[in-house]
Amino acid sequence: MRKEERGKNMSDNTINIYEKKAAEMTATNIIDPEDVFSKTPGGFLSLDRGGEHYERVRVIRLFPFSDADRFLSVRDHGNGDKEIGIIEDLNAMPEKSKKLIKEQLKLSYFTPVIEKIYGIKDEYGYAYFHVLTDKGECKFAISMGSNAVTKLSDTRLIINDVDENRFEIRDVDKLTKKERRMLDLFL
Amino acid sequence: MKDSRLTRKVLDRLREHEISEKDVLIHSPVDLSLDGNYIKGFIVVTEDKVIILEADLPRDTVHLFRNAENPEMTPEEDLCEYDVRIYDEDKLAHIRLDVYVGSNVLTGSYEGEDVIIACFTNRYQEQMNVLYRKLKGALHGNELEAEEQSEPEDIEIGEKKNKRTIFGRTLKYFLKYKILVFLLVITYTVNGVINIAWPYLIGKVLFDHVLEKDKAFLDSFGLGENILIALLVVAVVMIVVRFTQALSNYLQIFFMARLSSTAIRDIKNDVFDAMSKLSLNFFVNKQTGGLMTRVLSDSDRVRNFFIDGLPMIFVHGITIVSTFIVMFNLNWKMALISCILLPLLVFMTVKLRPGLWILSGKRHRAEKAVSSKANDNLTGARVVKAFGQQDEELKGFEGPTANLKNAEIDIAKLRNRFEILYKMVQEVSGIWIWIVGVFFVLQTHEIELGVLITFVGYVMQLNGPMNFFSWIFRMWADSINSAERLFEIMDAIPEIQEAKDPVRLEKPKGVIELTDVTFGYRVGRPVLKELNIKINEGEMLGIVGRSGAGKSTLVNLISRLYDVNEGSIKIDGTDIRDLSLTDLRRNVAMVSQDTYIFMGSVAKNIAYGNENASRADIIRAAKLASAHEFISNLPDGYDTIIGASGKDLSGGEKQRISIARAILADPKILILDEATASVDTQTEKAIQYSLNYLVKGRTTLSIAHRLSTLRNADRLIVIDGGRIVEEGTEEELRRIDGGIYKTLLDLQNKSLSLQTEF
Repeated sequence: MRKEERGKNMSDNTINIYEKKAAEMTATNIIDPEDVFSKTPGGFLSLDRGGEHYERVRVIRLFPFSDADRFLSVRDHGNGDKEIGIIEDLNAMPEKSKKLIKEQLKLSYFTPVIEKIYGIKDEYGYAYFHVLTDKGECKFAISMGSNAVTKLSDTRLIINDVDENRFEIRDVDKLTKKERRMLDLFL
Repeated sequence: MKDSRLTRKVLDRLREHEISEKDVLIHSPVDLSLDGNYIKGFIVVTEDKVIILEADLPRDTVHLFRNAENPEMTPEEDLCEYDVRIYDEDKLAHIRLDVYVGSNVLTGSYEGEDVIIACFTNRYQEQMNVLYRKLKGALHGNELEAEEQSEPEDIEIGEKKNKRTIFGRTLKYFLKYKILVFLLVITYTVNGVINIAWPYLIGKVLFDHVLEKDKAFLDSFGLGENILIALLVVAVVMIVVRFTQALSNYLQIFFMARLSSTAIRDIKNDVFDAMSKLSLNFFVNKQTGGLMTRVLSDSDRVRNFFIDGLPMIFVHGITIVSTFIVMFNLNWKMALISCILLPLLVFMTVKLRPGLWILSGKRHRAEKAVSSKANDNLTGARVVKAFGQQDEELKGFEGPTANLKNAEIDIAKLRNRFEILYKMVQEVSGIWIWIVGVFFVLQTHEIELGVLITFVGYVMQLNGPMNFFSWIFRMWADSINSAERLFEIMDAIPEIQEAKDPVRLEKPKGVIELTDVTFGYRVGRPVLKELNIKINEGEMLGIVGRSGAGKSTLVNLISRLYDVNEGSIKIDGTDIRDLSLTDLRRNVAMVSQDTYIFMGSVAKNIAYGNENASRADIIRAAKLASAHEFISNLPDGYDTIIGASGKDLSGGEKQRISIARAILADPKILILDEATASVDTQTEKAIQYSLNYLVKGRTTLSIAHRLSTLRNADRLIVIDGGRIVEEGTEEELRRIDGGIYKTLLDLQNKSLSLQTEF
């Protein structure tokens, strides 16, 4: 009888732990400007928040296309990469934090922006691009069968090459008529 | 890929640090700097050091990605000045490969401090992954061996790219039907000859010879003076010629329809055949809906060109050439004058057509947007109504329809303008010939009225072929592109390929052995990591784990829907990659969480993959799957048509049909992937009962969230994060304090007791 009760208690405990975990998982924590971001000597982003120090955090955009600088999820390193909290507006953060976070975002969302199209050749299921990006001149190939070109809006495109490297066209209307004609295949 | 070799500059720099080429055990290029710019660099691993070499690239460097044309670059040409960073392997720990959206970062801790080791784009993901795993193994004390690095190949395109080859290959589909092609050629020839003869007949013969009462000409036919009979003969000949032309036209269309539909059927069959052999990955990557429309519209485009275009190239080509010859023979001055305006027509079409094409492309896309929007809305009608979004959806529909309207209007506008202009130039050139011709006839008496009429006829006749040649090249390019895409599917090499001499699996025992199995759907994101397990003959193994832990992936590998990346899976001691696919699939049956019901009767669905099953067998299988009850209550019993257009079954009913299917298939290895996920508790009990029968004498792998389902399992494994974390009998797992299985069990028991309390 007693044994059973103890067993019951123990399982109750696990249930409680799980409920707590569930509560943690569903709660939304907001990271406010008081929380301090800094850079570790190794080049990582760290965060001090509510008396806790996170040595290596990672920032993820929740709306990378529609609202890149708002609603950023800050995640711990290791430990299941749990979410520490959400930054509602990056621009409301202090200058220093903002700069550090932006640096990290720039690397993890590395996406050259296409400024000029020199040529697009469509052959045997692949399209070969030759473009000028803000990171220099690039030649890459995309597969025509899969959805390599994503239309974010009528004028904004994301192009994935065969390795899923991303390239972006910010505004199709800013391209010349000739360039747009080459792109016509994908519009 | 040439750029993954170590260049001479790199080797020089390494030598400065007393590292020679043979010390290098493994290396990979890297191509990003920490601040997000392209660089040239390498990561080199030796027995005790990790060396990073990085160099900035000049501003005008062209960055080449996979499959982009690669100019040969010899290791000697590298002029970069490399910066070198060296890490001692015994001070390096906790390395980790972080995969971001546009970049990958290799990090680790060096002398207790977290550091970023290198960054690279997805271009080098494959090579870096190999390096990462090796390095990680080395840091954990494994021997690091030098290894022949297999470099990822550019996707093979080679000679297939050649447009002429594609053309020839397509042509073969048509030329296969020799008799039809021959008959078609005859009809085309007849048509061509008549086209040339007609203007001559009504012009020269009728006007100049018959109406002018040309004695010599009439005498040669023995008609002499009798002009009326001669006229009658000409009339009859004209009627016969027209009739022949009509007949040959009729036959031509008839033969063409036959030829085109048979040849296109062959192409479609080949494509479908190839598609069914392709592995799941192909369908996952390509979205099936788009694939189907693509195959259909592409084969249409190929047919259009080969049937409407290709023969006409010859017909029109011959027409143009012979018309010119006849004209110049009749009177070269007149011919020259009449042709003077032709280039203008050609110029106009060449100039104006592309605009029309662009617009029609736009219209096509607008049409597609409208139909996909409509499709979206109709299939989601239930949700739309439930959320009361009819008005909003209607508004959302206005955008695409307005686009379509505008596209239609634009195209009509341009076409009008084009056609009016074209007709005008055509008329002007006709009038021009009349004016000049009349002048010739009246003033110089160089030609006669009949010749003039013949000329007008010829020039008018030239318009068609000229016009044809202005757009046929576009059509050619389009159809070649379409054919290309079709061949791409036909030529796609299935990732799952049967071995050359497959081992037959005659009387399998059903022993499954997994050794170091590593697998991921995408490079760099392994779902299963170095899995090892042996499942004995007739054993029932329960697989437990969170959603997304890799349970379904594991069973997909065993039925070889995908191939492992590393390691091996053996059935009865033979690697499944060496087994005959038919034998493998016959001996491994899966009842999975997504049931698939084909269009057809209930009986056919149960007997799928087992056509010889008798009615009695089917009923027996249905009974064992607790499906007999509900099937008998269907109005048409076992003959009820289910599937896409038939009666809709509930989730549990579908599941029971797929269980019956597995029972009938009588496999040696049975995989139950959440087989009872979508049924109520009572039905579950019934199915449980039938499953108990089903698993007897078979090796069974059962995945279940409801742990009660696994009570009969001989052994359980818990998978977490792609690894087996707990293994043993149910009792053993229950005894692990803080173990995943125990926690899950407690949770379920608790919620179960909550249910009973209500």
